[in-house]
Amino acid sequence: MDGLNEILSLVFNATLVRSTIRAATPILYATLACVLTQQANILNIGIEGIMIFAAFAAVTTSYFAGSWVLGLLAAIITGVVVAAFMAFAHLKAKADIFVVGMGVNMLAIAMTRFLLQRTFGVSGSFHHNDIVPMPRLNFDFGGNALLDTLFNDYSLFEPVGIVLVFVLAFILYKTVWGLRLRSVGLNPLAAETAGINVTFRKFEVMLYSGVLGGIAGAHLSLGYSRMFVENMTNGRGFMGVAAMFFGGANPFWGWIGCLIFGFADSLGSRLQSLGLPSQFILMIPYVVTVVVLTLAMMRKKRAETARKSAI
Amino acid sequence: MSRILIEMKGICKEFPGVKAVQDGLFSLEEGEIHSLIGENGAGKSTLMKVLYGMYVPEEGSIAVKGETYPSLTPKQAIGLGIGMVHQEFMLVREMTVLENIILGFEPRRGGRIDRRAALEKIEYYADTYGLRVHPDKKVEEISVGEAQRVEIIKTLYRGAEILVLDEPTAVLTPQEAEQLFCILRSMKEGGKSIVFISHKLQEVLAISDRITVMRGGKHIATVAGSSTSAPELARLMVGREVFLGGSPVPAAKGDVALSVENIFVPGEKELSKLRGVSFSVRKGEILGIAGVNGNGQSELAEAIAGLRQVQRGRVVLGGAEVQNMPPRRIREHGLSHIPEDRNQRGLDRFSDVKENLAACSVSEPPLSSLGVIRWGKVREFAEGLIRSYDIRPAGADIEASGLSGGNAQKVVVAREVSRKAEVLLASQPTRGVDIGSIETIRNELNRAKEAGAAVVLISSDLEEILSLSDRIAVMFEGRITGEVDSSEADEEKLGLLMTGGGTHV
Ligand SMILES: Nc1ncnc2c1ncn2[C@@H]1O[C@H](COP(=O)(O)OP(=O)(O)OP(=O)(O)O)[C@@H](O)[C@H]1O
Ligand SMILES: [Mg+2]
Repeated sequence: MDGLNEILSLVFNATLVRSTIRAATPILYATLACVLTQQANILNIGIEGIMIFAAFAAVTTSYFAGSWVLGLLAAIITGVVVAAFMAFAHLKAKADIFVVGMGVNMLAIAMTRFLLQRTFGVSGSFHHNDIVPMPRLNFDFGGNALLDTLFNDYSLFEPVGIVLVFVLAFILYKTVWGLRLRSVGLNPLAAETAGINVTFRKFEVMLYSGVLGGIAGAHLSLGYSRMFVENMTNGRGFMGVAAMFFGGANPFWGWIGCLIFGFADSLGSRLQSLGLPSQFILMIPYVVTVVVLTLAMMRKKRAETARKSAI
Repeated sequence: MSRILIEMKGICKEFPGVKAVQDGLFSLEEGEIHSLIGENGAGKSTLMKVLYGMYVPEEGSIAVKGETYPSLTPKQAIGLGIGMVHQEFMLVREMTVLENIILGFEPRRGGRIDRRAALEKIEYYADTYGLRVHPDKKVEEISVGEAQRVEIIKTLYRGAEILVLDEPTAVLTPQEAEQLFCILRSMKEGGKSIVFISHKLQEVLAISDRITVMRGGKHIATVAGSSTSAPELARLMVGREVFLGGSPVPAAKGDVALSVENIFVPGEKELSKLRGVSFSVRKGEILGIAGVNGNGQSELAEAIAGLRQVQRGRVVLGGAEVQNMPPRRIREHGLSHIPEDRNQRGLDRFSDVKENLAACSVSEPPLSSLGVIRWGKVREFAEGLIRSYDIRPAGADIEASGLSGGNAQKVVVAREVSRKAEVLLASQPTRGVDIGSIETIRNELNRAKEAGAAVVLISSDLEEILSLSDRIAVMFEGRITGEVDSSEADEEKLGLLMTGGGTHV
């Protein structure tokens, strides 16, 4: 009995909260990017690729320019450019967004691998002391261990992400802009007859999702870690899409979805340290993705049967 | 009369393969109610969508208040005081009534929506014209009649002085339609000008100052409302004499083909919307089910067709109990079903006409063999139906979403009637359909009956019930309040039963 208690207290303690938030943040930015586009009825599956491009741009710029701010800026610009390309292909050339997104994802992996070779002459990963990371936030709690673990040493964009959840929710549900955006996604004809330019709106939110995707990538390579690794998103963009679905394109619920992923991830690494087989641990995020998506679909289905044949 | 607000001349609008409007002509004077009538597919909606800026015409000019434009955008149209209530409502179901009304024209304080200001303005219009709505309900929770009032407030809110209503009464109960006319009259008194599109000639005659008739995309005539008559309008619309009304045709009755025994069925909000409904239909007869919409007719049809759970009681079809079977199995037991909502249940709007027509017979020879579809046969089959039901435009490859309302309905009717099933369940089969097609569809129902089918006709149109049914059952609040033989029925008697007065006859 004592042994079990010990294991439990090793696994579940205050640092678990921290590591959950830590693991959830890169996914959260991807989720928010997808929430925005989904509100305009665009499934931004290419967010994975945007993040990879952005992560590479951030590391490269930070390394050469010696500034994380410039790195972040480069990542955002990269994200916007890629998103603009996707928006153009989808809205102007009428290509299927899913195909465009998958194309971007594959291109991102291949192209960053190539550029990694060309720029730094390495393959696999690149880390260097000259990469300037994002700052960490530290407060003085007078040595209180619990407060220290809970509230200290966050990377800048971890708390910012949480604030963004609230900001985005406010924008979507309380502002004129948000109302119009949602109408574009829910009933484009209604929006059009209200004099709203539907295509323009869609283009606009794709660009904003590029900004968020850029931040996601920069945070991944300069905040969450301090390096670039091939395919370093490792499905986090897709998990962002899954969390968005889980939340039905609502920022709060999407955030909850991200926390579930983050929790599964950090729980996994603890179990690994206890000696569980690593193959099993590596499987956890994907199993959780499937479960979360199933839950989301069940919710949606139930909502739909409840309201059939209204008008 | 007074000043001319709108003058559309020489309008041409083509869709791939269809000349929807050719040399279209329309004018509107200040303070008048001007009706626009014509067969399904005559181009009424298209002409008005050109006015509202949703379509850009290839040719023609639109003059609004003296200013001439080659085409408009919705934004410009709204700016010029034009508002349109579309045939298919343009509402966001997931949003509240208030949000729908203010969309695009939100009063704001900072970037935020100023709810109080919005509510005040909505209440002003609601009070002035008697448009009762619930601002905080979601659109998916309100009735069709209310949704329409929301659409009207929406246009007024945007500052419309010119209102275009595209078939507003097609989805309303007679009572709701009467309310709508009061609203329209009070708007006219308030100085608004109204374009009213409808297939119901009595309504048109009752409310219009002028009437414009279109046929095949062309302007046929514009007449004064006071100097014309229903037969004349019908002739102008269809181009020939039309005969509606009449009484049920006699036919030999056979055995009971469908019987519903004491069924209880849940509704959307109530636990049992249907409470103990029983009736039976014989081969070779039409049983009409009358009633004010919303008294359980929709649920009854869905329960018989297997689209809604039956909690208690039995549905016997061709000797077998079929309640709660999947819809497909029930069809195999001999049911054909014309659903009341063609857009949601009757058609797949994204498939083409031949696929929609063949949907019920495609799994059997000759349209397929061993699971492989024989497209040549499907096309032949579809073209046959298109010809005999006069579906326009006559193309098997047109996507169903491009059909006008009435022609879409004809596709559904053609598919269901042509199966020659033992029982034909027809829900509102002529809703939103022009009189020429109403004549066709009613003839088809009679022909099915003569061929020995048992027909259940659910309709909120009393005239339709009276002219087709051998027997009439009336529904009120989930029960059948009376059953009368057609020889003893008249509008008065049915009207009494429909409002719950006079229990069993
Ligand atoms: N978006 C579209 N794409 C292709 N064809 C269309 C489209 N809209 C209308 N049409 C075609 O244009 C013609 C005119 O259609 P319209 O909707 O104006 O008829 P309508 O007079 O309003 O008929 P109804 O009374 O049935 O509503 C029809 O033949 C229709 O099939
Ligand atoms: Mg129409």
